[in-house]
Amino acid sequence: MGNGGTVLDTARQRFRRSVPLLLLLLVIAAVGALTLVTGPTADTRPLSPGNASPTGSRALIQVLQGQGIEAVRPSSYEEARATLTQGNATLFLYDPDRWLNDDQLAGLAGASARTVLAAPTADQLEVLAPGVSVIGPLVSAPDVVEAQCDDDDARSAGTITSGGDGYSGPVECFPAATAGQDAVGSSYVTTADKDIAVIGSLEVLDNGGISSAGNAALALRALGREPVLVWYQPTSADVATTGTPVDARNLLPEWVNPLMVWLLICSVLAILWRGRRLGPLAVEPLPVVVGAAETAEGRARLYQDSKSVPHAAANLRAATLGRMAARLRLPRSSTHAHILDAAAVRTGRPRSDLERIVASIPNGNRELVQFSQELLDVEKELDQQ
Amino acid sequence: MVLTGRLTLLALLGVVPILVYPGSTPILLWLLLLAGGVAVDLALAASPRKAGIRRDLPGSVRLGEQCASTLGIRNDSSRVLRATIREAWQPSAGAVDPEQKLRVPAGETRRMEITLIPERRGILSVAAVTIRSTGPLGLAARQITVPAPGSLRVLPPFHSKRHLPSKLRRLRELDGRAAVQIRGGGTEFDSLRDYVRGDDVRSIDWRATARKRDTVVRTWRPERDRRVVIVLDTSRTSAARINDEPRLDTGIEAALLLAVLAQRGGDKVDFLAFDRRQRARVDSAAKGNLINALVTAMAPLEAELIEADWSRIPSQIRAVSAHRSLVVLLTSLDSGSVEEGLLPVLPSLTAQHVVVVASVRDPRLEEMRSERSTVSDAFRAAAAERALLDREAVTAHLRLLGAEVVDESPSELPPKLADAYIRLKAAGRL
Repeated sequence: MGNGGTVLDTARQRFRRSVPLLLLLLVIAAVGALTLVTGPTADTRPLSPGNASPTGSRALIQVLQGQGIEAVRPSSYEEARATLTQGNATLFLYDPDRWLNDDQLAGLAGASARTVLAAPTADQLEVLAPGVSVIGPLVSAPDVVEAQCDDDDARSAGTITSGGDGYSGPVECFPAATAGQDAVGSSYVTTADKDIAVIGSLEVLDNGGISSAGNAALALRALGREPVLVWYQPTSADVATTGTPVDARNLLPEWVNPLMVWLLICSVLAILWRGRRLGPLAVEPLPVVVGAAETAEGRARLYQDSKSVPHAAANLRAATLGRMAARLRLPRSSTHAHILDAAAVRTGRPRSDLERIVASIPNGNRELVQFSQELLDVEKELDQQ
Repeated sequence: MVLTGRLTLLALLGVVPILVYPGSTPILLWLLLLAGGVAVDLALAASPRKAGIRRDLPGSVRLGEQCASTLGIRNDSSRVLRATIREAWQPSAGAVDPEQKLRVPAGETRRMEITLIPERRGILSVAAVTIRSTGPLGLAARQITVPAPGSLRVLPPFHSKRHLPSKLRRLRELDGRAAVQIRGGGTEFDSLRDYVRGDDVRSIDWRATARKRDTVVRTWRPERDRRVVIVLDTSRTSAARINDEPRLDTGIEAALLLAVLAQRGGDKVDFLAFDRRQRARVDSAAKGNLINALVTAMAPLEAELIEADWSRIPSQIRAVSAHRSLVVLLTSLDSGSVEEGLLPVLPSLTAQHVVVVASVRDPRLEEMRSERSTVSDAFRAAAAERALLDREAVTAHLRLLGAEVVDESPSELPPKLADAYIRLKAAGRL
């Protein structure tokens, strides 16, 4: 009854065929699970305390912790405020992306005993340090700038690396010309009561620059005044929201979503319809395809690559003389002189002419082409007689 | 389970109720409808497992001709089998219509013919037959692939057959049956007959002429019942293509023409295909049609990617024929392989037999030689000249060792090899 075998046979056969595919899926799943388990990737945010790369600030935080200062790293605005209100804390704020709005900044303004701002924007300064203003990027030559002020922290540092943003304010330290050379800005500016400090150069704080000049002294003294340091770097999660956002999908007619789902189902059905082959592929045992002249072609490329012009010329000459001998009915063993003599008689060309063509030794590719063509011409002339 | 295009169309029709009544209900209902249709189809489709397959194949077909593979499908189930059937021939079998629709009522058998136009000599195979049985609604089908191995022997085309009449005529002239006769080198006295113009005057029998008062010539019959051993080299050098035909196939053509000619000439023909071991053998003592035996033996020959072991050829030939024979070696004259393989054993062959070495020459080399317009061309011409010089040296060496050499382009090799045979026979050297 039929040749089809049983259902079990077919199932077993299909399972055996799909084993490699299943194994591949298993491997992919295992790799996926492993990457999930091994946890988040390394911290790469600039000035992050967890970042050990040259742009991070892990070195600075670890030294401060070694000096007995408690470094807190709040993950949200609320947490930062709550920590600051406990008192005796230094707020470090670095928000280059301006996630915090003016209200949030005002909330931080009075909360801390001391505030250190890293490369703040004009908006941030307006709220947090009204007396300080942005001048612009400073020149980075020479390598270091001197304190030139009577701030204790700056004086003890002596020099810091140049560059970064320049500011002006009540107390200005490490002054340098701006990149445009039209003004003078300072890398380290504090308010008159020294409670708010602005550091314009990130190199003073990051792992890459902290060990240069007096950077470390300035950073440690500026941040280490109070027993608690709140190292706050706002994220996109801190953006204050107003009202409920509008979902774009709610604006579409109500039949769009079901239609999309249905078309997806239809496409899956179409894939299943077109994807099923009528039986396995037929195998063709392919024959070897080697052109017989391949070896000669390969040898020609070898000659050309190694620029063996004399060798190629010798081949051409020997072949031509051989054919000339056959054409002139001379024995194969005849000498060149004999062949040339006979050829000169047959063609009527002066012997010296033939001698010049056949015996010339080409030098370089162009001469080889000319030589080969002249040989061919001599043969043709001989054939026409 | 196989889904059909009709199911996809039905699914697309579901767009209408979804547009009219947006929501998830029509989606679920329509899915249910589709699932129901598929279930009904799968349940009512005739089981492809209960289909009996029977294949009728011709035993062999000559390359270039067409044949048909006939599949008989017997439906052993109790339902009508609406099937799409595919016979999975390998592509070079040239199946024109491998997929066909077939409707087989319950308990009956229907036949389908698949036209094959083979594109290649050799044994072509089919591994399986796939049956897709569609349900009455045409929404889903059941499919299985049934192993049904089969093979078709594609014989060499024997294009060189067209040279046969002219060569046979020359052979007849030799035989004394034609009016104009060349003076055969045969030694066996055949008969006396009247002189006709063109006969060699040296063969006039003066005594008989005097008796009959009319010029009478003696005729000799060339030797018959000589042995011709054709050895076809199937080693790596026979895989090389010349004018997009492997050397092996040209060799087969030449061997076929020579074998037929020699058989008509009254000689015994043995064939041997050899590289490191014997690949095919046709014995002159065997019964039956020689040409059939030859093409059948030659059909599955493939170029093996190994070096030929020429040192074993003399013993192989001795096993075929202990007497003096004409040994035709169909091989290649590439320098390198010949110097290593054939040259050392040739003296032992020529000592006992008449040896002809036949080889295909590549016309491409001649083209490369005469094209000298650019630098690359000049270097190629030099390389081609080198190859031709090497070839000439090998040929000269073979001739020096007492072998005849036939070195011709693919289309010319079979007739030129036949000419060489006729020449040797006329000269009485067999």
